[in-house]
Amino acid sequence: MRSILITGGNGGLGLGIARYFLRKDGDCRIWLGVRANRDAADLLSAEYPERCRTVTLEVTDAGAWGEAVAGITAETGRIDVLVNNAGVHRDHLLAAMPDEAWHGVISSNLDSVFLGCRAVVTPMMRQRSGRIINIASLSALLPPMGQTNYAAAKAGVVAMTRTLAKETARAGITVNAVLPGYVETEALGGMDDEAKKQAKAGIPMRRFGRPEEVAAAVFFLASAEASYVTGASLKIDGGIF
Amino acid sequence: MQGAELRQKIKEVMVEELMLDYAPEEIGDKTSIFGSHGLGLDSVDALQLVVALEKHFGLKIGNSAEAKGILESVETIAVEIEKGQ
Repeated sequence: MRSILITGGNGGLGLGIARYFLRKDGDCRIWLGVRANRDAADLLSAEYPERCRTVTLEVTDAGAWGEAVAGITAETGRIDVLVNNAGVHRDHLLAAMPDEAWHGVISSNLDSVFLGCRAVVTPMMRQRSGRIINIASLSALLPPMGQTNYAAAKAGVVAMTRTLAKETARAGITVNAVLPGYVETEALGGMDDEAKKQAKAGIPMRRFGRPEEVAAAVFFLASAEASYVTGASLKIDGGIF
Repeated sequence: MQGAELRQKIKEVMVEELMLDYAPEEIGDKTSIFGSHGLGLDSVDALQLVVALEKHFGLKIGNSAEAKGILESVETIAVEIEKGQ
């Protein structure tokens, strides 16, 4: 039985990842970490009452992480997989970026990953096994204008992933990053039809990705088969370079 | 557990948990754990060793200054565990 914590559990990508694990691994237990909104996460938890649960987790709060991980390990004795998926973007050109847009995005996307990793590393070391998958973004490599904050945070996540991978390799813990491009979730909600058409024109596959296409990569990185993969950054973006 | 039996068990735990390329018998009681004249372990090993000692012997090491003294050799680790018994 694997214990799996997925942050951003009320969003399209977090739910897609959770649903993929629940379908593919009948023996896993999922905790969906959510902040304010939890309706969609609660629906999935109701669908799998024995194997999926919604927990309140403010990912920028070290104390909340401690409580969440302690709750999971108290119940199952283990924390096998952490998927750091929570994140937000607040786009502005740098010249006009308010302080709170900078700090808020760095905090939600980068501090949160640091706090999550720190919370699970010691229990995973005790188990001598663990899988951490950080959901970064294609913006870490190919940032569009207006995302200095988001791109810096996600590039930081990629660098943190590689560093932590070295620090935990001998403890049986792997740490990898997934970099999705355009994926059909609420994150694309701010784009009108014309913007979507233009975005698709720039993707060699001429379409957006589906959450389950990202989830499949996360599932692999969390599996025993990926035991020699650590510090990797996997782009999932329909071929954008 | 005390004396030679405890020291042997500490060496076995170190070899297993830190994946050392030594047999437990090759590690002397007073061999330095860190640095080029001893086993040559690094700070990542130190962190893992702290976790392993708590898991196997219930030894809690509070901070890095304390760890430096305790993790000098198998002997210093054993003395610390025996103190708590």
